[in-house]
Amino acid sequence: MSEEHLKRGASQWSVGWRRFRRNKSALIGSAIVVFFIAVAILGPYIAPYPARSYLPLYEGEAGTPPSFKHPFGVEDSGIDVFSETIHGTRNDLYVGLAASLITTLIGVALGALAGYVKGAVSDILLGVTQVFFVIPVLLLILLFARVFSFLVFKGLGLTLIVLILSFFGWSSIAFIVRGETLRVKEMEFIQAARSLGAGSFRLLFRHIVPNVLSSVIVVATLNIAGFILTEVVVSFLGFGDANTSTWGLLLNEGFSLVRTDWWVSLFPGLAVVLCVLGFNLMGDGLSDALNPKLRE
Amino acid sequence: MMKEKLLEISDLRTYFFTEAGVVKALDGISLEVDKGQTVGLVGESGSGKSVTAQSVLRIVPRPGRVVDGSIKFEGEELLSKPENEMRKLRGRKMAIVFQDPTTSLNPVYTVGKQLTDILMLHRELTKADASKRALSLLERVGIQEPEKRLNAYPHELSGGMKQRVAIARALSCEPTLLFADEPTTNLDVTIQAQVLELLGQLQKELGMTMVMITHDMGIIADMTRRVTVLYAGKVMEVADTPAIFNSPRHPYTEALLKAVPSVRQTRALEVIPGNIPNLIELPAGCVFHPRCKYAKDICTKDEPPLEKVGDGHYTACHLWRELNLEGRTG
Amino acid sequence: MIPVFLGVAILTYGVGSAAGSPLDLIRVGLRNPNPAVLEALTHYYHLDQPAWLRFLYWLWDLMHGNLGVSISGRPVASQIGAWALSTLELQVLALILSIVIGIPVGVYSSKHQYSKMDYAITTTAIFGYSMPTFWLGIMLIIILSFNLGLLPGSGAVSVSYYWWGNPVLDQIAHLILPTLVLTYVNLATIVRLVRANMLEVMRQDYILAARASGLSERTVTYRYALRNAVSPVVTIIGLGFGAALGGAPALETTFSWPGLGYAFTQAALTLDIPLVQGITIVITLMVLIANLITDLTYALLDPRVTIG
Repeated sequence: MSEEHLKRGASQWSVGWRRFRRNKSALIGSAIVVFFIAVAILGPYIAPYPARSYLPLYEGEAGTPPSFKHPFGVEDSGIDVFSETIHGTRNDLYVGLAASLITTLIGVALGALAGYVKGAVSDILLGVTQVFFVIPVLLLILLFARVFSFLVFKGLGLTLIVLILSFFGWSSIAFIVRGETLRVKEMEFIQAARSLGAGSFRLLFRHIVPNVLSSVIVVATLNIAGFILTEVVVSFLGFGDANTSTWGLLLNEGFSLVRTDWWVSLFPGLAVVLCVLGFNLMGDGLSDALNPKLRE
Repeated sequence: MMKEKLLEISDLRTYFFTEAGVVKALDGISLEVDKGQTVGLVGESGSGKSVTAQSVLRIVPRPGRVVDGSIKFEGEELLSKPENEMRKLRGRKMAIVFQDPTTSLNPVYTVGKQLTDILMLHRELTKADASKRALSLLERVGIQEPEKRLNAYPHELSGGMKQRVAIARALSCEPTLLFADEPTTNLDVTIQAQVLELLGQLQKELGMTMVMITHDMGIIADMTRRVTVLYAGKVMEVADTPAIFNSPRHPYTEALLKAVPSVRQTRALEVIPGNIPNLIELPAGCVFHPRCKYAKDICTKDEPPLEKVGDGHYTACHLWRELNLEGRTG
Repeated sequence: MIPVFLGVAILTYGVGSAAGSPLDLIRVGLRNPNPAVLEALTHYYHLDQPAWLRFLYWLWDLMHGNLGVSISGRPVASQIGAWALSTLELQVLALILSIVIGIPVGVYSSKHQYSKMDYAITTTAIFGYSMPTFWLGIMLIIILSFNLGLLPGSGAVSVSYYWWGNPVLDQIAHLILPTLVLTYVNLATIVRLVRANMLEVMRQDYILAARASGLSERTVTYRYALRNAVSPVVTIIGLGFGAALGGAPALETTFSWPGLGYAFTQAALTLDIPLVQGITIVITLMVLIANLITDLTYALLDPRVTIG
């Protein structure tokens, strides 16, 4: 590597950042994500109608196809699809980001522990991960959502989904982190650090985890996409909170109107596709940037 | 008597067209190999040694390709041959032994299958005959209990055995020209000598011409008659092996010689300072000048041409006349 | 494998019980329950026993093929067969199609990296797994079924008249849209995976060595490279199939496809716990079998792996 690379900083992160910047699709994905985050933050201020509002009904515009006034059309009940999609952005992003954050924290903690300690903890974790691999996770999520739905009236609808998703979703990260920890643990620089007197805790957090981090970031980002998709399925099937605007709920309502009001199914669906695409592109870009194996 | 030239490479340029830029792996090298000789190709990692072998067989992996020059094998120009004719030559008339036998053998096929595949392809033998021949090949390269190894998978063999298998594979159709690309670098020191000895034996038996690619001057001294020194895709010096050792005429060669330890070592090993240059942006003038302790002004401006300094001895250095370079006698 | 199965069983049973005892649900259903009837039912459902004993009773019944009785009164086991077949019909067909199409496309894409075709393929693939499967189904139903009337948009068989003339063609007609959607989404993953693995394998030394031996490009790609590239794909396909078996609800609901996913959704919404538990167990079994097949196939393909 030439001198200038040394000057600019050759750490894994700065090299990765440069690679990321040069990756067209990664940038497109990031732009999409930023766009959706912006919509989520500005949501209530830019949406023409409040969440779950039937106002258009009183304006005599229920069930109308897309028009200048209602870009995404109006449901038969009077709900403006454009506004609902905007409101849904905030909620769906909340679910995706929150679930990903929680599963990452739990997964990293348990995975690193299992990989480092070995023995009973590791075996139990493996066993649990195996169970989660085999069970039809989606079905159990649906079941849990239905069974615990009595909590929803307190306004905890979305958070319930987040918790359920997290409960079922941490095992994949834990499994990966455990594998990576095992791999890094055997590397020479760890033995070197240990020979210099570093204790277990220090080893774990100062040396091992940072090296495992790159895989974690990639998986966490891709998980956001997955969690959003799962939320959409859950709400679509009617297991979500009927009082919270989510894309899945829109699709659910659209499905009952599918013969007449195609716009209720099309636009929220496009929003989902675009948002998930954004996170997927970003996650792929991160993967390429931090683990350059498949380029060239 | 004019010795027959088996391989003549002229002004070969092989570039890799990557996203980061054009990597000039070989930038105008010339090389000649007489029939029956063992010739050395020496240089650090990244000097273009392996790419040379790949270029001759025309298997340079994407995004690289040969962009200019001429490669004549047995008098015929290889670069203009159609692909199906090249394929007839590969493995049959010319072969490569690769550096790392752990990665050069296909992990999902048995040793026997990898050998018989080639035998059946080039020799049109039946499966039974090919298996017999594979067995005798394994014996020839010194593998014990060859019947067992025939049905073994590469991961079941030790490093030394794997390399013997790789040699057997390369030699299966008795090629005229063999490229040995760092054949011992990835092996234990104790096994290295054995494998080198094996190669030497086989070369004599089969009357093969061998190009020994290595970074180890010790191997050059032991096994080669003539050697070409490569650096950053360019030829630095070419000479008979004794001449290179006794009177090197290029600072890089001198540095390489100084970096090899010997038993009678009295002075400290000298490390060549710096790193090989970025092959996308080669230095102006002489490619070696940034690391050369003798570099003068002209070295930074003009690329030195290959000049004759003696019988069969050429060097690419502006200053060879003035410099009194140290050779090795040990 | 057994501990895993037990773990799943406990989880399923636990959640089911949390939904409330069957007795409450029945009580809600019947206006003036006869105390004798209640007593009999209590006894039948072992409701007077402690929880862990009930669990064991349930497990015991399970071993004997008794999956309990749904709220509707019909035994779970009798209906599951038909549902399972419907789901499998769809999933297996889509799986086969996506493998048969996906592997060649993935190989092609990897050999022509950076070409326009490659970009088109990878882009289509990325869209494929960024969209909710069922939504694609809805869109196709709207366009092809409602607007153009080309294909049926619901059910596995028709009720009143046969599409395209006869019962067999009718079944095929119904299969087309859901299979199309499922295949496309499966393809997305497979193509990406095959492409990525092939790219990595083709960079290996043994491929260079194979070329150096004079083997044809075809042999090198399909016999030497693909054999190595396909093993991890098999694992992912196996896992994916497992997930697909359980992920059927949304797709099946969209097409009113009478499979396990659809049945589960209805059962869960109405809190028909025995049915829920029964379906979950059956699907888990199917997934375990699928995983077993995957492991065996993987061991066959990669000699470095030993079974056990």
